Amino acid sequence: MSGHGIPRYSSAGEKSQEARQQELRKIEKYRALDQLVHDKITAHEYTSETLQKISELLSDNPEYYTVWNYRRRVLRDQFSQAASSDSNETATDKVASLIKNDLLFLIPLLRSFPKCYWIWNYRLWLLDEAKHLLPLPVARKFWQEELALVGKMLNLDSRNFHGWGYRHFVVESLEKLAPEESGQSMAPEEFEYAKKMISTNLSNFSAWHYRTKLIQRLLNEKSASNKERKEMLDGELELIHNALIDPYDQSLWFYHQNLMCTFDPSVSDQTMAPNLTDSERLEYIRQEIEAIQEMLDGAEDCKYIYQALIDCTVLAAKIQGSMTSEDKGNVLGWLAEIKKLDPLRRGRWVDFEMTMS
Amino acid sequence: MTLASSPSRTPTGPQPGDLYVQKHVDYIKNLDSRRDELEYWLTEHLRLNGVYWGLTALHLLGHPGALPRDKTIDFILSCQQDNGGFAAAPGHDAHMLYTVSAVQILVTLDAVDELEKPGRGGKHKLGSFIAGLQDKETGTFMGDEWGERDTRFLYGALNALSLLGLLDLVDVPKAVSYIQKCENFDGAYGIRPGAESHAGQVFTCVGALAIAGRLDLVNRDRLGGWLSERQLENGGLNGRPEKLADSCYSWWVGASLAMIDRLHWVDSDRLAAFILKCQVSPFDTIPTLGTTNAVQDPEGGGFGDRPDNMADVFHTVFSVAGLSLLKFDGVLEVDPV
Repeated sequence: MSGHGIPRYSSAGEKSQEARQQELRKIEKYRALDQLVHDKITAHEYTSETLQKISELLSDNPEYYTVWNYRRRVLRDQFSQAASSDSNETATDKVASLIKNDLLFLIPLLRSFPKCYWIWNYRLWLLDEAKHLLPLPVARKFWQEELALVGKMLNLDSRNFHGWGYRHFVVESLEKLAPEESGQSMAPEEFEYAKKMISTNLSNFSAWHYRTKLIQRLLNEKSASNKERKEMLDGELELIHNALIDPYDQSLWFYHQNLMCTFDPSVSDQTMAPNLTDSERLEYIRQEIEAIQEMLDGAEDCKYIYQALIDCTVLAAKIQGSMTSEDKGNVLGWLAEIKKLDPLRRGRWVDFEMTMS
Repeated sequence: MTLASSPSRTPTGPQPGDLYVQKHVDYIKNLDSRRDELEYWLTEHLRLNGVYWGLTALHLLGHPGALPRDKTIDFILSCQQDNGGFAAAPGHDAHMLYTVSAVQILVTLDAVDELEKPGRGGKHKLGSFIAGLQDKETGTFMGDEWGERDTRFLYGALNALSLLGLLDLVDVPKAVSYIQKCENFDGAYGIRPGAESHAGQVFTCVGALAIAGRLDLVNRDRLGGWLSERQLENGGLNGRPEKLADSCYSWWVGASLAMIDRLHWVDSDRLAAFILKCQVSPFDTIPTLGTTNAVQDPEGGGFGDRPDNMADVFHTVFSVAGLSLLKFDGVLEVDPV
């Protein structure tokens, strides 16, 4: 989208007559290029020269979505020309080289405009063409290299949601393109990747989110037993408790909330341990409340702690069917603290208070 | 977003900290006269959206006639392509994003009948373009023939079709079940099933559910909690945990909260104060390019994403719409869907 994070400055001193002339010349050049490309496409001149002009135009303006479509049309034409080559081998080589060059053209654009939807989108289209037009091992190699690319992009900005979405597509494709004899899931190695990203920056909720999804896949794919699922859950609880040494980090509490869904009968079927008994759930919640209460020591001003205590207590009451008056007293006490600590969301806490009376 | 009407009061004579209504109106009116700036030409692919953003902001600011109606309608119609869809500008390719904006503009200007004129193919042709982009298998929508799928397009399709009274052209229950697959444990929604929750996508998913009459599927308290946590100490709203505030989320988050009756879960006064700080104010002093001098901003008008940043029409409409949700004086009331 236009204009994120561009600091304001005055153009008052800058726009001399000469600067204005210079800008007008730039406009003229840009519009001439635009017109040229448009004319060539209208005339179906799908040549290398047209492709070159399109590259220039897109480098000036990567948000120009119509020109990405022009590029697709030119390449489709060049693919079909290549396919009519004398031998199959040459055809494959030609198509592969067209795709390779185009992937290379995109790299500097992606680096300069990592949040531009159209570039990511075009790249996926190109790789899909590879899937359809090239022998499996060749197509697979292209997709394989994308994993490294998206890794680099996520190192530059570990929250870029285009990057995370792209990673999802790449993994999905590689799994489909995997050689028959192996045919294996990439969930284990992706789980390691999420782990690595989390250890680099605990606040990276994108990576925690990915972890949630991967755990599900890992367990489902190996048809994990209830025991294995419980072990996974225990490990995750231990991990998040250790991470919550910094209890002021919102990302960690949202992951904690994800884990607590395991004990919520209304959503537990989508979680990593769907078959816990009610008494197991209550026991987990009791331990959780104890662990969270200990976090309060030295962090009495951390509202997330009180919030988690309330959520756990309310969840226990949901399982039991009612709340003891002792628990209710505790909840109201924690709520009083939150109302003091979190004036921005006062309306939320007042609403909640009303449900308690 | 469509307009709901309510009486309003226009403030007199701008004071520091006010909403500079006239400045913003002038800023929007002048956008089309900036043809001597390269930026004008580099943003041609947003032109039709830009008209929608500008027009909506003007309506909300109580100046609906500030853009010439006939010229606006002519421009919109000149963007329609043979397939019935609309492009960002004449000669560009049709795409869902611009088609939705075109419908919104025609409805705002009470000009949908223009589509029934000879050669236009009627509103059904336009509706068929949108309906043709539904993925029959999953229920979601593509942006155009090249196949990108995103809940933005799903919301846009339902929004435009409901404005035209043509929702029966698509499989609404299938679209609804797709949205449910985009829901996460935090009660919020992502761009596709499995993707991280994002406030922009929450708006599109909750908006689509509202249009489909299926807000009963939303976990209001859970989602409301996540959305209210978008408010930061500076009063502004962010789009995901641990990110910076941005004025456009005043709309994406605020409208989502309004749709689930939880707008009072954030602090309105602090949010309004943040939005006002994103105005390009005629009282600000700003650095001059290439020097260490600070000068008073000669132009003023419009909103940026954050205080002290450049204004653009996208952040202007969503800032004004945010103020509108908060029932700020001098701004008309908006329908959050």
